[in-house]
Amino acid sequence: MTAKRLLAWIFLGLIYLFILIPAAIVIVDSFSSATSFPSPIESATLHWYRALLDHEEFLDSIRVSALVAAIAASASVVLGFLAAYALVRRPVKGRDAVQTLLYGPLFVPQIVIGLATLQILSLAKLRISLVSLIIVHVVYLMPFTMRLVMTSLSRFDFSLEDAALSLGASYSRTLWHVTLPLVRTGLIAGFLFAFILSFVNLPLSLFLTNSRTATLPVVMFAYIESRIDPLVAAVASMIVVAAVAVTVVLERIFRLRLLG
Amino acid sequence: MVSSADSPETSPATVVETKWPTSALPAALFLSVFFLLPLAFVLLLSLSPNVLVHSHGLGFGNFEYLLSKPYYLSVLVRTVRIAAVTTVVGLLIGYPAAYSLKLLGERVSSGLIIGLTFPILAGPLVVVLGWMILLADGGPLLGPLHKWNLIRLPHLIGTETAVVIGLVHFTLPFVILSIYSSLRQIPDDLIEAARSLGAGTGNLLVRVIWPLSLPGVISASLIAFSLAASAYVTPYYLGGPGQITLTTLVGEFILGTYNSQMAAAASVLLLITMFAITFAFIKFTSRFVR
Repeated sequence: MTAKRLLAWIFLGLIYLFILIPAAIVIVDSFSSATSFPSPIESATLHWYRALLDHEEFLDSIRVSALVAAIAASASVVLGFLAAYALVRRPVKGRDAVQTLLYGPLFVPQIVIGLATLQILSLAKLRISLVSLIIVHVVYLMPFTMRLVMTSLSRFDFSLEDAALSLGASYSRTLWHVTLPLVRTGLIAGFLFAFILSFVNLPLSLFLTNSRTATLPVVMFAYIESRIDPLVAAVASMIVVAAVAVTVVLERIFRLRLLG
Repeated sequence: MVSSADSPETSPATVVETKWPTSALPAALFLSVFFLLPLAFVLLLSLSPNVLVHSHGLGFGNFEYLLSKPYYLSVLVRTVRIAAVTTVVGLLIGYPAAYSLKLLGERVSSGLIIGLTFPILAGPLVVVLGWMILLADGGPLLGPLHKWNLIRLPHLIGTETAVVIGLVHFTLPFVILSIYSSLRQIPDDLIEAARSLGAGTGNLLVRVIWPLSLPGVISASLIAFSLAASAYVTPYYLGGPGQITLTTLVGEFILGTYNSQMAAAASVLLLITMFAITFAFIKFTSRFVR
């Protein structure tokens, strides 16, 4: 049995090496004194992080991404909560049909969702804007937030609501004082998860940005096309740190299993 | 659905009686307008004439064009091949990994699973950047191998192998977790019972554990295949212009030649291919699971 466990540890060690190595190399190379890759690392420097603070294009795109992610995540949590509430609370008419529609965006490649949005905008003679960018992100994020809220609602005891209502509390009061506090964890977790998914997304935004509304992944995408240097590795490292932080917060504080 | 709604309400009457999922309305409306409608328009566009395919009115000309040109046909074949190879390699690595997690027990594995979710949150762009550095000629992986004359691989970046490496990496967490969640449900008592009845390790694996984990393997395959076929960033950068897939072809048609109709046709071709293969796979595998 112990030999088996040892083998399992070794195999999993290799798997984790494989899974974590691309992010690790990005972080290591962000401290490199080299000016482009591939080149051996000769000395460590913080130069690229300082250079990043002067790089207007990256800084602007980080602001755009943060704004889009914050609004899209909030909207998808609100819409996702309302939908999950309707679907979990009690058997309702057309539940399966509604659920299929709401999970729909999961089954369509993101580049196709982006293309579809671009085409419908041109049909409506509308220009691409921050609004269309946020909308397409909400379309993509809603299935995820709805799923997370549904998980947290499935543990919620709906008789608490009935109790509050029968004691004379108004419907909005019940929602605010009973339901929302009890599913808060799912809502915050949903927001964080949606925020980071939106923040790092490229295919949805690719066709829907211009020079003023370019998100961080779109700027990185264009940058990598011309060169790979420690500057873009520094940007990527900061995303890695943010991803690690969100992962730890979700798992440790909210005890949330995102997958499986 | 209809029957449950028509049957008399069995729960005690409360102040709010929701017969329709009213609060799901905003979300459903939102997706109808901003997801279904645009998708329907893409379908219409894919049937419309354009600079490459002249015809009068709607027709399947764009699809005939894509499927008759060897170049575009090879894009379709490559997309399916890359997704299929990714799925098979992912299962070959992912199954033992999931089984190892099962062996180590719930307490250890729940900690280890946290590490699996992180690349998903970091996003494909960061991960692909890492692979581009790692797999580059003279990079940390190929550099030493070349120097010591261990292999004579000229390039990795720009090959199908690089795309598959990137996609296996991208889909592996989903594969492992999907298989693990079905392995986890196998009760330890059952394994003990099989052992005490004289089943050796081989017998146990083939006749007890494998059949019971099949649903997880099937869903892992479906997830891996559709993620790999839908991926954009990985084939774009690790495959480059020599390894165009249907997703990057859509990008080419929009960012390169701005041909909306052909981009739409490539999108619809991708969707039909994915759904057809998924459907066939489900039909085929349903015979093996109860």
